[in-house]
Amino acid sequence: MALLRTLRNILSGRFRRADSPYSFATLFNKFRSILDKNNQALELIADMGDKLGGDYVFDRQYILSITEQLTELVYLLIYDLNTLAPNKYLDLLNSFERIRVRIQAQLEGNWILPEGDTVIAYSNLDIGLNEEVGNKNATLAEIRNVLELPVPDGFTITASAFKMFLEWNKLAEPILKALNSWEHESQQSTEETSAAIRKLILDARVPPSLIQQITHALERISANYPKPEGNFFAVRSSAIGEDGEHSFAGQYKTSLNVPQSQLLEHYKMILASAYFPNALAYSSQKGFLANEIAMAVGCQLMIDVETSGVLYTLDPTSPEKETALVAAVWGLGAPLVEGRVQSDQYVVSRDPPHNLQALKIVRKPDMLVSRKGGNTEHRAVPDELQSRPCLNPEHLSKLVEMGLLIERYFKRPQDIEWALDRDGNLVILQARALNIKNGKDDLVTDISEISSNYPVLFKGEGTIVQRGIATGNVFLVGQDEDLNQVPFGSILVAKHTSPRLAGIIRKVHGIITDVGSPTGHMATIAREFRVPTIVNTRIATQTFHNGDEITLDATQGVVYGGKVKELSYYEFTVEDVFEDSYEYRLLRRILREISPLNLVDPHDKDFKPAKCKTYHDIIRFIHEKAVKELINLEHVRRRELHGAARRLDFEIPLGLTVIDIGGGIQSPNSDDAIGFTEINSIPMRAFLVGLMEPGMWDTDPVSVDFGSFMSSLTRTFSSSLASPELVGQNLAVISGEYLDLSLRLGYHFNIIDAYISDSPNDNYAYFRFIGGVTDIVRRSRRARLIAAILERLNFRVELRGDLVVGRIKKLERAIMEEKLWMLGGLVSYTRQLDIRLDNDEQVDQFLQDFTEKMPKPNSMNLQRRLYGHESQNTNFDTGR
Amino acid sequence: MDTNHKTQILILDDEPIVCKRLKPALEKSGYEVETFITSKEAMSRIEAKEFDIVITDLKMEGLDGMAFLTEVKKRAPNTEVIVITGFATMETAKESYQKGVFDFVAKPFKVGEIQQVVKKAEEKRNQAHAAK
Repeated sequence: MALLRTLRNILSGRFRRADSPYSFATLFNKFRSILDKNNQALELIADMGDKLGGDYVFDRQYILSITEQLTELVYLLIYDLNTLAPNKYLDLLNSFERIRVRIQAQLEGNWILPEGDTVIAYSNLDIGLNEEVGNKNATLAEIRNVLELPVPDGFTITASAFKMFLEWNKLAEPILKALNSWEHESQQSTEETSAAIRKLILDARVPPSLIQQITHALERISANYPKPEGNFFAVRSSAIGEDGEHSFAGQYKTSLNVPQSQLLEHYKMILASAYFPNALAYSSQKGFLANEIAMAVGCQLMIDVETSGVLYTLDPTSPEKETALVAAVWGLGAPLVEGRVQSDQYVVSRDPPHNLQALKIVRKPDMLVSRKGGNTEHRAVPDELQSRPCLNPEHLSKLVEMGLLIERYFKRPQDIEWALDRDGNLVILQARALNIKNGKDDLVTDISEISSNYPVLFKGEGTIVQRGIATGNVFLVGQDEDLNQVPFGSILVAKHTSPRLAGIIRKVHGIITDVGSPTGHMATIAREFRVPTIVNTRIATQTFHNGDEITLDATQGVVYGGKVKELSYYEFTVEDVFEDSYEYRLLRRILREISPLNLVDPHDKDFKPAKCKTYHDIIRFIHEKAVKELINLEHVRRRELHGAARRLDFEIPLGLTVIDIGGGIQSPNSDDAIGFTEINSIPMRAFLVGLMEPGMWDTDPVSVDFGSFMSSLTRTFSSSLASPELVGQNLAVISGEYLDLSLRLGYHFNIIDAYISDSPNDNYAYFRFIGGVTDIVRRSRRARLIAAILERLNFRVELRGDLVVGRIKKLERAIMEEKLWMLGGLVSYTRQLDIRLDNDEQVDQFLQDFTEKMPKPNSMNLQRRLYGHESQNTNFDTGR
Repeated sequence: MDTNHKTQILILDDEPIVCKRLKPALEKSGYEVETFITSKEAMSRIEAKEFDIVITDLKMEGLDGMAFLTEVKKRAPNTEVIVITGFATMETAKESYQKGVFDFVAKPFKVGEIQQVVKKAEEKRNQAHAAK
């Protein structure tokens, strides 16, 4: 029987010889130290993220020293975990070393490229590599990889490849010479200089090692997109600096529909375009040095387009109108972008569902299309389509929705090139910030007037985790299954911060929670995705209702009713030149190695040391495993602890032995039995008071008399389930803040492991339940009941057969105490129920019954019962 | 008193980012700001001009902020010196209180924080001025 096997495994663990050379107290301290360091590390990461918010002046020294501190903490965490569970997680050191070396290289100014120096797939790119792949490629990769919007697949050929090209062909010197003589001696015209340099490049050969890398990339593309005639590409410039601070947009060449066999030729043509006359003049004018010119190239799979065009997420000439502009033509978009043809114009609302407000349809007699075999050609548009609009309202709405997602992420209105393929899919081809400086005065009114125009729903509550402005409709988060239903653009309102929320963070505009830590995992993710977030508001879930339209101002800590447009535009106009600074980029690049969380779900098969890609992953992994190891530890180490054990003298004869490992008992040096009043342990007190909660048994549904109830309550394992030496002792390891309880009541087995202190980030409770004497069906019913109750108490619950595991963490002390009190009641209530659970409907009835008998307590009352003069002992009416 | 006189501020920090960020922020508050990334240049500048407020880092690569601020106070005792320094060097920074430093700001700091300290330093100077 599976159950028996499971039980035996659990129980046999007790008698395994302890192979750790450390005492329990030492190991427990290790565990505490892990929680401490975990907290510190998350705080450092949050601090670094904070610095990217723009409010701080920081320097390189800051980046060096904080990175060093964090690296040391992560190392010590690995060390501590491997002490707690001797050498069980040494693999972590490999991941750690890999990450550390990468960070070190970043600090030293060396680039670490994901696939060698010269060719990188879009899927492996991030924006931190913008100086290697150009802003155009880097932005596109961010849109694809972070925002997960459709972008044609492909790869980039980096700036390093460009340099390698120049060096291998010994071109660097002659080019520099030509440029210097043009700039300083004016002997040659711009056109002559440009032509001479471009000829050098076009006559040169692509270095063999680069050819090899490009061939590799092409092979990978072919494997994913097999085409008998080979693939065709759009080959675009992505100069270093282009589309960034200095807009070189449109200065360079783009080749469309390039057959892969001709890719190298076109690669050279794009490189040569770095020296087009207008590009030369432009960079000279902008103060770029000659040797700073570097050209990365993007190779995107060609889209079989029906319609192409441009989207401005905000009308730059009259931004106050709150509209997005779309221009569209049949076929490829190049003639439109180059301003050579007239296009359809659409004015679309920026408010969901992005209705069409105005349109101007022109006659479009001609279109540019891909030619079979390569290159492009002009073709007549079929008569019946010439005067028809090339987009329908659904496409427009979807397009603007995508555009606004990009806008929110980059915090600037966007100028986006897009295409609609023949299957009706919209894809993003390019995106860059749109300059609206001229119109910004109309947008931003006096922010101080806002509160008189909009109702303030709350103010000054909670802690800002990520600054920013968000508008949207409230989505109240319940249990797991709800998360998939979260509508796009919602503002999540949840009871707790949770790594689960991290999974849908790109869909939402903002997050507000009742409780939660500004340094927790979710907070870090919110920063990564720049989603405005406030935690610890206490009242959010009570204040807001599903569907409420609100504006979250996570710069001032205010939530307004309705959509405060003034605020949403305010962000666009805040000047943030420092984002172009070396330090900002360095910090950002380093955070890329530190802060993204890949290990979100502990049940995932990839939740293991080798899959840790960032410090955050390692920290998260260690946190999860430390709790697990400590729970297991209790069974391993029990023997060692007999000497220090003291019996609990209690109203209910629990047969409980208590081991105090520090601060859990008032008179620790005595050997006498201890009473309830002597227990100082926060979680233990709360649990025991809950266990004694009178309402839990006085309306016993089958009216068992009290004597028989008590005997059943304290009956230990029957001999059919366990050997005699296992029977008879329940154990609690406690400290002032800690409880690790193994409790066998009747025929089932509970483990409670909890830590409750004044620091919410450290707090957690773990509850495990297994066993029973009746058949598996009834036991499963009881397990389902327990699971349902735990879920109602906001535990994260796992249910397998009759094994129930519930976890909750990072709540404030008073709330955690309430949870432990509830667990006490739950243990009392359910201990014998499987005997009575005759059908599935009863599960719901008992759930209802429990909820009525154990209502959410008034927190002051509960505190008084836990600590006040009216001790629970006196309320405990045994004479009933 | 010349009411058009803008408060003159000198900033010395060997990390250009600090100068780059502080200058516009303080100019926005109505100050006139000069920035230096080497103590040599800053030193020769204070020989030529007396500043109302000097903002300097203490520990910089290859140059000594302490020597610089000592020189500033020697030349112009009325110049208020604000030290901006990393947390690690805070102890050294406190020692320099004896040199008559007005205040310390630990790096990294918020732009608003330094603006406040500068404002206080300015008020102190104005009061001293008025008392004369």
